[in-house]
Amino acid sequence: MRLISSKIWIKTSNQVLFIVLIVLAAGFASNYFRSDKIPFIEDWSAKSNLVTPSGENLEISLAEASNLFKKGKAFFIDARSLAEYDAGHIKGAISLPYKEVDWKFVEAMTGISEESAVITYCDGETCELSMELAVFLRNAGYKNATVLSNGWPVWKQNGLPVETGE
Amino acid sequence: MKEEIRQKISMTLYHGARIGLSIVFIYASYDKILHPAAFAKVIYNYQILPDELINLSAIFLPWLELVIGSLLIIGVWLPGSVFIGNILLIIFCSALMYNKARGLDISCGCFSTSQGDLPESTLYLIRDFSFVVIAVYLFIKVFISESPGLKRSS
Repeated sequence: MRLISSKIWIKTSNQVLFIVLIVLAAGFASNYFRSDKIPFIEDWSAKSNLVTPSGENLEISLAEASNLFKKGKAFFIDARSLAEYDAGHIKGAISLPYKEVDWKFVEAMTGISEESAVITYCDGETCELSMELAVFLRNAGYKNATVLSNGWPVWKQNGLPVETGE
Repeated sequence: MKEEIRQKISMTLYHGARIGLSIVFIYASYDKILHPAAFAKVIYNYQILPDELINLSAIFLPWLELVIGSLLIIGVWLPGSVFIGNILLIIFCSALMYNKARGLDISCGCFSTSQGDLPESTLYLIRDFSFVVIAVYLFIKVFISESPGLKRSS
């Protein structure tokens, strides 16, 4: 004996169809008339996320970043949490968790001139913390702030110098 | 007499679940409908959907939640809305579990190397799982009570 009759499945599929039609109409209409509409399909690739709304590309390549590192000409800023920083970070990097940037900014950036090359990084190709931190730093006057995309794993994988602890 | 009380409790539970779930859906949809771009970013951070589907989901998903929530609260088209509600909640719950298992911080789309210290995602998971339980209960109630041989309860 079937517990659920086939009749209710027919009823359900009809209702689902109508619900979908209502949703499609509402979605199209609302996105058409609103002022802050978004495109139906957008480029979400990691590269496009490193471009500011004004069109500046903040990405720095690994080769460039490691070159600056070897010459000691860049400050690396770790945008992840302090716990993750302690567990391992680019050698000499400064911890400035983006989530606490408002009250850690002054302490972290003391002694770094606004002209310096500043490179932010976090963990994961789509991690936005480094990008947001770089934008924040640029607004604060660090006009040479750039982002090392997918910084921490890429740095590690290439055997570049790392350290643990504070 | 005893049967009457049991039926009363069962009815209260059923309507409680129906209204509770409808509030969850309507509440969840409200902010997303107002801010589609922000919601698109949230979907992107889950890193599950292909790029082409991110904005489409951000545009239509909140409306689906609102329509389902509204149907649940007024109590019409229950089989259809309960069915979709179940599917949605199971998808949300699976997405959370998947990202928790691979150590992804969904607030920033970052991978956390220190797994296990993400109480926030555990809380979300418990919350979403309890919604799934309520939704499955409603599904059983609605689908069995609408089948022949059993009395409709609404």
